[in-house]
Amino acid sequence: MIDKIAFLFVEGIKNFTRNKLANFICIITILINFTILGTFFVFGYNTDNIVNFFRSKYTFEVFLNSDTNLDQAVTLKNEFLDNTLISSVDLIGKEESAKIFYDEFGEDIIQILGYNPLPMSLKVNLHDKGFDSEEVNLLIEKYGSNSFVDEIVYQGSYVDNIESRINLFIFIFLVLVLLLIFISIQIIGNTTSLSMSNRKDFIEILRYNGASNLFIKTPFLIEAFLQSLVGSLLAFLLVKYGFVIINSYLGVNIKIDDYLWAWMIVLSLIVSSYASSKSMKRILL
Amino acid sequence: MIDFKDITYNYSHQSGVYNIDLKIKKDEFCFLVGPTGSGKTTLLKLLYFDLFPHKGKVEILKYSSANIKKSSIHKVRKKIGVVFQDYKLLKQRTVYENIALPLHINGVGRKKIKQLVNEALDLTELSHYSKKFPNELSGGEQQRVCIARAIVKNPDVILADEPTGNLDPTTGHRILKILEQINKEGTCVVMATHNYKLISDKAYRIIELNEGKVVSG
Repeated sequence: MIDKIAFLFVEGIKNFTRNKLANFICIITILINFTILGTFFVFGYNTDNIVNFFRSKYTFEVFLNSDTNLDQAVTLKNEFLDNTLISSVDLIGKEESAKIFYDEFGEDIIQILGYNPLPMSLKVNLHDKGFDSEEVNLLIEKYGSNSFVDEIVYQGSYVDNIESRINLFIFIFLVLVLLLIFISIQIIGNTTSLSMSNRKDFIEILRYNGASNLFIKTPFLIEAFLQSLVGSLLAFLLVKYGFVIINSYLGVNIKIDDYLWAWMIVLSLIVSSYASSKSMKRILL
Repeated sequence: MIDFKDITYNYSHQSGVYNIDLKIKKDEFCFLVGPTGSGKTTLLKLLYFDLFPHKGKVEILKYSSANIKKSSIHKVRKKIGVVFQDYKLLKQRTVYENIALPLHINGVGRKKIKQLVNEALDLTELSHYSKKFPNELSGGEQQRVCIARAIVKNPDVILADEPTGNLDPTTGHRILKILEQINKEGTCVVMATHNYKLISDKAYRIIELNEGKVVSG
């Protein structure tokens, strides 16, 4: 039995090395498809991180009435800090506001108007963990009517928008994954068919000598496995080191699942065994 | 061992075999003779279940065409050695590898394969050619490789389809001698040929076919 398995394994490797061009094309196709798939996996894995990244940018700005004094502003700041949704609050005084105005517009408003009309404001930074947009909206509504507050500017609606579209993103992601798997199945299946057609005589001789269908199929299955293994392994390396480079160049922290390599290889082996079995079934009727 | 029971097989172009009733015993050596298109190859193909009769049934080694499953055909073929007129050798494999192929299929161990292949090489006088490739051999030598491949698994039946068809008379006699020797060791041999001269001096059973029917035998 071991000798038989060894023989079939060697035959599979011989097939693999014999059909160089077809296998090369197949490996490149798997490499491209699984690189895209792997990238999707990484983005999927980092969905929470990406949303949190946007959330970490969430702040709302509370512009105070012009007659609000510093003590009142500090009291309001402390009130905000007591709220569990809020991580920190920066008090921006009138002078600092004027400085920001200068930085943004290049004009010194005090020099133009002769006085500083800009109000004090509070820059309220929200916690990104346990973020609940409804609670934030309630908070804004509550303080919107506060007598010290003139206006609250909140850009969280963009994030709400992103979050509400995340299901659509997941749907598109799944459609693309299925499309790429379908393309891989077609390519692997066609390569197996081509390999079997090239070895029609070999198959015929095996049959006349008493080989079962399983015996005939095994080397072609091994060939398809090798294509998938090489293709998906290269794709994994490309994805992994691609994101390492992206992380170091862009200074972001995109995480890669520790088992990404296993997911990619196992998925490619399932795809290849399905594709080659389907194609062999058609030929070995 | 072999039983054709009222067999009919039609090809689309109105040729084939019709109402064949034949029995071939174990250890028997018999010739299927007749002109081209008389149905010799069809009968052999029916024996190794490459074809299935449209009427009647074929029984060989306790397997019947009437109830054999497609998935079980390989079990019959493991017990049958087939010698083809066009040899059907693997061109990219050496003589040794070609002969060893049925043993790999049967799951024989490496040491045993070496021993059995060497015995087959000796019997067919091919020991010096074991590392050569088929295209480096003459027609007669290739046919001997085909015979060696058929006998190496020690089959119960050898089916030889025009094994001397492409060979000169001397080589043809040599091939026939090898087949006779195999038969003497207890293997049933059924050989199709249209070469009457080759078998005229032989005392074996001759089944004569013409236009798909048994004329004598």
